[in-house]
Order: sequence, then C-alpha cells, then structure tokens
Amino acid sequence: MLRQRENPDSFKAGALSISVHVVLLGALLISFNWKTTHPVSVANVELWDSLPTAVQKTSPIPEPVEQPVVQPKPVVKEIVKPEPVIEPEPKAQVDIVIKKTPVEKPVKKENPKEVKKPDDAIEAMKKALREEALQRPQKQPSDDALKKLQQESLREDKAEGDQKNLAVKAAANAGVIGEFTNKIKAKIRGNVNKTLCGDGNPELKFEIGLLPGGGLSGNPKLVKSSGNAACDDAVGRAIMASEPLPVPTDTSLFSQFRNLKLTFRPND
Amino acid sequence: MNASSDMSFFTLIMGASLPVQLVMLILIITSLFSWWYIFIKVATIKRAERDAEDFENTFWTGGDLNKLYDGIAANRRKPQGMASIFEAGFKECARHKQQGRMEVSDVMEGARRAMRATYNREMDELDAHLPFLASVGSVSPYIGLFGTVWGIMNAFRGLSNVAQATLSQVAPGIAEALVATAIGLFAAIPAVIAYNRFASSVDRLSVRYESFMEEFTNILQRKS
Repeated sequence: MLRQRENPDSFKAGALSISVHVVLLGALLISFNWKTTHPVSVANVELWDSLPTAVQKTSPIPEPVEQPVVQPKPVVKEIVKPEPVIEPEPKAQVDIVIKKTPVEKPVKKENPKEVKKPDDAIEAMKKALREEALQRPQKQPSDDALKKLQQESLREDKAEGDQKNLAVKAAANAGVIGEFTNKIKAKIRGNVNKTLCGDGNPELKFEIGLLPGGGLSGNPKLVKSSGNAACDDAVGRAIMASEPLPVPTDTSLFSQFRNLKLTFRPND
Repeated sequence: MNASSDMSFFTLIMGASLPVQLVMLILIITSLFSWWYIFIKVATIKRAERDAEDFENTFWTGGDLNKLYDGIAANRRKPQGMASIFEAGFKECARHKQQGRMEVSDVMEGARRAMRATYNREMDELDAHLPFLASVGSVSPYIGLFGTVWGIMNAFRGLSNVAQATLSQVAPGIAEALVATAIGLFAAIPAVIAYNRFASSVDRLSVRYESFMEEFTNILQRKS
C-alpha cells in the first residue's frame, strides 16, 4: 500500500486527512439548519378528529335541563287562570281595583274589561259586596293582591326563563352547527392540495348539498372563485374526496346542512 | 410523521436503508484514504522537487564529480530522485572504466541503461497512488448516485401506499438519499483536483530527470 519512502509522512497525512473530514462535518452541522419546524396545519387535522365525541356529549346535557322547565308551565298557568274568574268579587272594591289596575294593565287586559262590564245592574251587587267587604276584615284583598303580585312576578320570571332557555337552546344549536361546519371545513381542508393555491391568501366560496349520511347530494357549486382556477378545482376535488362529511345525528339540526355555504382560505 | 421529522444529520444517516448506509460507509472510507494519499503525495512530491533543486544546484556549481559521488554514496540515506540517477550512471561508468579497453559508445550505452532503469524506478515511486486518486475521482460520484437512486426508490415506493401524497412524506427519504451523493462528491472533487495537480508535477519532474540524464551522458562522454 505504502512505499518505503512515504512512511515518514504517513502519520502526519493520516491525521490531516481525518482533520479535514472533521472540519467538513463541523461545517455541515453548523451551516445547515437541521431542525425543521412543521407547520401547525398538519396537526390541526388530527385535533379536529378528536373533537366530535366531546361535542356530542355536551349537547344532550342542556336538553334534559330545558324539559323540566317546560313542563311546569301548564301547571302554573292552570293556577293562574282560575283566579281571574274569582277575582271580580274583591275587585268590586273601588279602592282596590284602582290600586290593582295599574299593576295588572301591562300584563293582562282581561281584568280591566271584566271590571268595566258590570255597569248598572251589578252596582247593587257591588254595594252589597262593599258592605260585606267593609264588614270583613280587610286582610283578604291585600292577600289577593299579594298573591297576584307573586303570580305576576312568577310569570315574569318564567317568561324571562323561557326567553333564556330559548336563547340557550339557540346558542347551543348555533354552537353545534358551528362545530360541524368547522369539522366539515377541517376535513375538506385536509384534502386540499395547497400547493395549487399559490403563496397568497385566496378566498373562495362553495355551496354544497348534503344528505343525512354525510354524502353529497350533488356536485359542489362554486359561488365565489379565488381567481385561480387550479385552486378552485383543488378545493372542489377536496370536497368530493372528503365524502362522507361529518353531519350531526340530530335530524332537527340537519336541515341547516341541507344547503351549506362554505368559505375556504386554503393558505390560512 | 415519523422520528426522522427532526431531520438532524445523524438521524438522516441512521434512518437510511442498509444499502444506502453501506454506500455511505464505503464512500467515507474511500474519502479518508484518498485524503490520506493526497497528503502523502503532497509531501513526497514536494520533497522530490526540493531534492531535485538541491542536487541541480550542487551538480552545476562545477565541483568534482568523484567528490559528489563519494558524498552521495557515503550518505546513510539511500539516494532519491536525481541523485540516484546520477549515482547509477556514474557507478556504471566507473565500473566500465575499471575493466578498461572498452569502446566509449559501449560505456555510454551501459551508463545510459543504468540511468534509465533508475529513472523508471523513480517514476514508479512518483506515480504511486495516482491511479487510486483517479479511480476515486471518477467512480465515487457514481457510487453516491447509486445510493441516492436506491434511497429515492425507497422513498417513492413508500409514497405509493399513501392516498394523499405530500412532499413531507418523501422529503426525509430524499434528504437521506442525497447525503450519499454529497459524500460521493466530497470524495471525488478533491481526488480529481489532486490527481490533475500531481500528474502535472510528476510530468515536470520526469522532464527534469530526463533532461538531466541527457546532460549527464554528455558530460560522461566528454570525460571518457
């Protein structure tokens, strides 16, 4: 391998050769940025996949809460209704009626009418009643008034509660719809070939029709183009490829998904 | 995404398939040897040039050739390069003279043959390892390319099983494979440069030796 006269140099040359390689390796390690950071969008898809179970668990919870609230309604109304029938007797007292009307007016118009109707014939009755009332301890009317006030306040509370419940339900529905729209978008996004959409931030809108199983009822319609035909095609293909799309199992909510407009920003 | 997503240099090499790793190993060993030979040849050729320079200086200063020969023969080290050619020629000539009664042309012919033999031996020494450098320069890019092609083949074969192909699925494999080409080129480029440089240095030295031989033959002929 080595000639005799090369022997004195061999060790020096070997050391130099190894040092050259070490220097090159060092240069490689320093000059290159070997650590690569992966874009978050890749991980996004996996995150969305794990969500549906959490969403479906939360949605049933508000419903049982709402139902018990709805049931008591008729019971309370039944209690409220009979009273206006009994009321005329104490209302005959003018003082009390005047006091009551301002309170009742905003809530119920039936009571004032009932009070106005008995004009002539009933006046005699009223007088008798008044006398009776004068004889009676004046606690009853005040009790009645208190009851009414309580009932009215209860009714108001219930109305407010109903409104709140409706709002909560609507919000929950909107939330579920939002969740599923996001899931649909996420699933489609995962299939979009983003390289076709260039470097900018194109925005495009598609209208899709969904079937209850999550299938497409027709070809997705391009509502607003991004200006890049390749990008539009890529998103269209992604929509077709993402069948079946995630849709809520709740049939009442599904109507929202029959025709769905989706806005895409592939490069977001 | 597998573990190679961090793409560090060592995970790239460790993650490569066995043939690619073998190719890299071969190339690294080749590169080490070629650099070793490069440094050895740099040293030997430099020394040979310095020796030739020194010998020409002493030879052409016009001293006694017998003294010069004695000085070289007395040296513990075996004469190299031009000195060994001079020694061989002078010794042969002296022997012929001692036998006496010989034609001048025969004496010259014998001295010339002796010097030619020594010259060939010297050239062999100078040319040592140059073929190795030439092979490394021409072959190691192909070896690296083979490793790269193998690695890319693997990367694309893995891609065929995936429904949605993304660049990030092939990128680690291709990066791994390209390391083989990089090592091959790193071995080849210095080898080619060194080969060309050494070949031209050896050529110049051989021209110097040959011209010395001619001139020394003339001097011997004049003396006899």
